[in-house]
Amino acid sequence: MNSKVASDRQSWPKADFSRVPYEVFTDANIYRLENERIFRGPVWNYLCHEVELPQVGSFVTTWVGDTQVVVTRAEDESIHAFENSCAHRGAQLVTAVRGHAKSLTCPYHLWSYSLKGELTGVPLLKGLKGKGGMPASFQKADHGLNVLKVQTHGGLIFGSFHDDPPDLKTFLGPHSLSQIDRLLVQRKPKVLGYLRQRIPGNWKLYNENVRDPYHGSLLHQFQVSFGLQQPTMKGGIKLDTELKNTWNHSILSDTDKDNQALVAQAYEGTGKFNPNMKMADPSLINVPLDLGDGYKTTILSIFPTLIVAQVDNTYAIRHLRPKGTDGVELHITYLGFESDTPEQTHDKLLTANFIGPSGYISLEDGEALRLVQQGIRQRRPGGHEVLEMGGVGPIQDTDYLSQEISIRGFWQYYHQIMGLGNDQPLGETQ
Amino acid sequence: MSAPTHEVSAFLYHYAELLDTERFDDWTQLFDPNDCQYRVLSRENQELGLPLPIMGCFTHGMVRDRVAMLAKGVLTYRRDRLLRQVTNVQCHALGEAGMEARANLVVYQSSAEGVSSLYMVARYRTELHRSRSTWLIRSMDVLVDSFGIDTMLAVPL
Repeated sequence: MNSKVASDRQSWPKADFSRVPYEVFTDANIYRLENERIFRGPVWNYLCHEVELPQVGSFVTTWVGDTQVVVTRAEDESIHAFENSCAHRGAQLVTAVRGHAKSLTCPYHLWSYSLKGELTGVPLLKGLKGKGGMPASFQKADHGLNVLKVQTHGGLIFGSFHDDPPDLKTFLGPHSLSQIDRLLVQRKPKVLGYLRQRIPGNWKLYNENVRDPYHGSLLHQFQVSFGLQQPTMKGGIKLDTELKNTWNHSILSDTDKDNQALVAQAYEGTGKFNPNMKMADPSLINVPLDLGDGYKTTILSIFPTLIVAQVDNTYAIRHLRPKGTDGVELHITYLGFESDTPEQTHDKLLTANFIGPSGYISLEDGEALRLVQQGIRQRRPGGHEVLEMGGVGPIQDTDYLSQEISIRGFWQYYHQIMGLGNDQPLGETQ
Repeated sequence: MSAPTHEVSAFLYHYAELLDTERFDDWTQLFDPNDCQYRVLSRENQELGLPLPIMGCFTHGMVRDRVAMLAKGVLTYRRDRLLRQVTNVQCHALGEAGMEARANLVVYQSSAEGVSSLYMVARYRTELHRSRSTWLIRSMDVLVDSFGIDTMLAVPL
């Protein structure tokens, strides 16, 4: 390819990441690189929560990028993670999503593994009557499952394929650490259920979505119609030093009720503002916030695939499981707390109507991402997003919500970890 | 098909048609205004004994709110045409005026450009009771096998 054509397709058109080339959402080569450089790169991938492994022998299957991973609790209570693929001929080892086992046995040739992923049994290892069997050089110790490094923080279990992953707490950053304490440690969580949403959009579109408070009160009209979220609310974003992890928060104050004129102004020309709507049964929107610290919404987004979210009185761990360039499973672990009264548990089952694939405040994200993926698939190379809301230039914390700055932070880190240049066509990145 | 099964089948076909044709107000009137529940539940949570619904309406007002958001344009959702097929209806009496029924449900989605695909595989489990000449829903659980929901579930099943 001559250099002129290449320069027309520069990977990142602006140094402040206020443009994002659409190829990052559609190019199969980039997707392949993401699996190598991000999901098997120097990051900590969320796997599952410790309460999902309540006893010795508990296991859960999860995903790290394209790779299915089994997470176990071994006899000494330690937690282990390994690829769900037999060391012998590669067969998927565990087919259940979760369960309990003393050891793991491949159905094909019955090779068996300990809960730590060590190969413990090979049928006919020595052959029969002096014939067959494995050669003398075969050592079981050399044929364990492909394990990930595992670390935990605040009950969250993380795994890394990388030889030299960063320090976990440094990787998470101070805002993540304090929010994990606030949401997952000060009360002991319990799982109330799972929700799964197959969104026909690239996994990074969801990362943009959760770093985008600009859309919150525009796409999600339910919140605005019933006063849960308004563009006039106080709030802001905080980033970690690498700009990859974002904490968005909003606080609804008493004065917001008097801000209807300002809200109407914000919606001018959209035909969307619907201030006089009433619910037939408002119990859903009247559930009190049981943390009592005034935060209406807090979204903690941790690179690459974890979101710990409080939306009103709902608490959930959202995990992104990429499915090729054009799809992602949004896997939601919906939480209550051991200290909840029966009324509080009922309230959480009620407010579950806010979130997930049928959520009044979230079902639209699935549709928005589908529409973006549909739209960008048709674009010629050279097309790009425009991220200028809230300002261009430096990527920094804000004390306002109408911004896309935190999305630019995500892209800066993505660009760095992917090793993308500024003068090379993305589709030809090697 | 016995007389009650025939009657319950006709009721469920009507239920499906009201949703297919987006006559949402009429659909809410199939529920007992004084005591009803509507839930969409994933098979995954059911098998784990976990209580979380995908959709959970615990009063008649909540059932009405679910569809009011659609009718009033509060929600932005995929506007595919949905077609529900109800089969394998089975029922048995529950006390003097009650009926418990089960059925299978398949829902297809068709796009604005006329491309159809399978959207949902589920089962109905419902409790009805007779009120004057009609049946009313006391409880309707939709147990979803396809709980890896395609894009979103905005319109009730």
